[in-house]
Amino acid sequence: MIYRMHSLFVGILLLFSTSIYSLEVIEILGGKASEIPIAILPFEGFKNIGGQKAHQIISSDLNRSGLFRPLNTSGISNPPSSDININYTKWSAMDAQFIVVGKVESENPILGNIKITWSLIDVFKEKTVISMRYIGKKSQYRAIAHKVSDNVYEYLTGSKGVFHTKIAYVKKVNNKKYSLNVADFDGYNSRPILDTTQPIISPRWSPDGEKIAYVSFEKKKPVIYIQNLRTGKRTLLANFKGNNSAPAWSPDSKKLAIVLTYNKNSQIYMINADGSGIKQLMRSNAINTEPSWSPNGEDIYFSSNRGGSPQIYKINILNDEISRVTFEGKYNLSPSISYDGKLLLFLTNDQGKFKVAIQNLISNQVLKISEGPADESPIFAPNGHLVLFTYKDYGKTTKIGTVSINGLKRLPINVGNAIIQEPTWGPITN
Amino acid sequence: MKKSLLLLSLVAILGAGCSSTPLDAPGDPSASNYYGSDSAAATAEALGLEELRGNQLLSQRSVFFDFNKYDIRPEFQDLIGAHAQYLNNHEPARMIIKGNADYRGSHEYNLSLGQKRSVAVKEALNALGVNDSQIETISYGEEYANQECQADECGQDRRADITYEVE
Repeated sequence: MIYRMHSLFVGILLLFSTSIYSLEVIEILGGKASEIPIAILPFEGFKNIGGQKAHQIISSDLNRSGLFRPLNTSGISNPPSSDININYTKWSAMDAQFIVVGKVESENPILGNIKITWSLIDVFKEKTVISMRYIGKKSQYRAIAHKVSDNVYEYLTGSKGVFHTKIAYVKKVNNKKYSLNVADFDGYNSRPILDTTQPIISPRWSPDGEKIAYVSFEKKKPVIYIQNLRTGKRTLLANFKGNNSAPAWSPDSKKLAIVLTYNKNSQIYMINADGSGIKQLMRSNAINTEPSWSPNGEDIYFSSNRGGSPQIYKINILNDEISRVTFEGKYNLSPSISYDGKLLLFLTNDQGKFKVAIQNLISNQVLKISEGPADESPIFAPNGHLVLFTYKDYGKTTKIGTVSINGLKRLPINVGNAIIQEPTWGPITN
Repeated sequence: MKKSLLLLSLVAILGAGCSSTPLDAPGDPSASNYYGSDSAAATAEALGLEELRGNQLLSQRSVFFDFNKYDIRPEFQDLIGAHAQYLNNHEPARMIIKGNADYRGSHEYNLSLGQKRSVAVKEALNALGVNDSQIETISYGEEYANQECQADECGQDRRADITYEVE
């Protein structure tokens, strides 16, 4: 039995050693990624927290990623709550490569603060690899659990976790009742930031996390607004003649690519975030829409039917050179690029079924990661390892869910019974 | 103060005599109806509303399209021809064409596709001599599409609707 001093850190993460399972994008796309078996044991103490318990939240987070296989720990009696006296034989017999243990205590009963102390233990090496402590308000219980998931994820994969991020989506109750909502990435703590009687489409979270741009039909035609999430104040970004749509933030959050349709052809323009400096990016006698920036800010990917059926193209904004990007399939839409610039996410029509697909931009290999029949609006998580998208069965209501980029885990996000569509994913914030 | 003002205005109205009715007072219902129906009748005549409602071809208002397409199928030429003739004969008439798409594919692409469809109808009318100033084109994309259709049933949503401002 190994006994070691606890290294406890409050709130901030100081203990980050090299990761032992580095993710290779090509590996994930190419073959069956092995999921890491991990046992998240029930945390000791604080039984009066309602809803999901910390170990359930962490298991659910890690399971969603498609890179972990959380083991069923419900039958385990008297689970350890710290890394002292760990029975390694028992856990390795359960096939657990790692275990997470922890306890919840009341830190300051007057302020209602709680303290969560937890450890990640490597069963094979028989040693503790992370020990941390978080203190927060009782209302931050879920947030703290998500931070633990992030810590485990980053330690074991080498990439930042997205379990403490926010998403936004459009809720359509009926043809006269729409709202734009913000929620935790798993759908909890949702709240509307806009209620309206007209359709809302294409919300896009600014990379700096402060604003959401979206298209509203409230002026009896599509126009683009930018809403500040802190103040709730919104400004009209584009209300030019015809349709104004498809806002896409530049990586520095200072500019947007937008689409204007005066007459028959949708064309891509650039505009400063304050509404100044509008200029046309290119001219074409076809539909050009759904602009999306590469992370280096040099290329704008977009969908266009210039070749007949819709395909994905890109324009280099330094030299205006346009090239076609997708060649597989007759109908490809809705491009977005992963944050490392290596993967293209898009929607493909696969013999009448609309599915989410990923193209490796180095090898051009394509992997379909959803089944259809009517999936839409795929968007990357800020670490590029998860995809948020909408799905619906014939005759059913549209819902949102996540799919891991290896296609292994597709799971719903439950935010109610209305039609849920047009999601966007906020950045990783500290 | 209030009372005296009211009294004063009452005196003023009475003083004005019985021959005229103050403009802001409820007037003779038959009189206002007379003027209303007269201008409506004039408008109806200028716009040929009776023709618009009664004509079998003019009462058809939807042009349907194939999936992901915006070229006008030959069977809609008669309908478009009738509306072109109507617009050419009634210069004050204003048409709004609303393009739509079925729910499949992205909202943004369908917004562009709906616009292509409404403009395709406009251009077919232009080709028959209709002035651009009489036509406005807009797109609803897939925003009002039937969410429950399957494959071929969704054809109802792939359309451009012709409406007239006066209606």
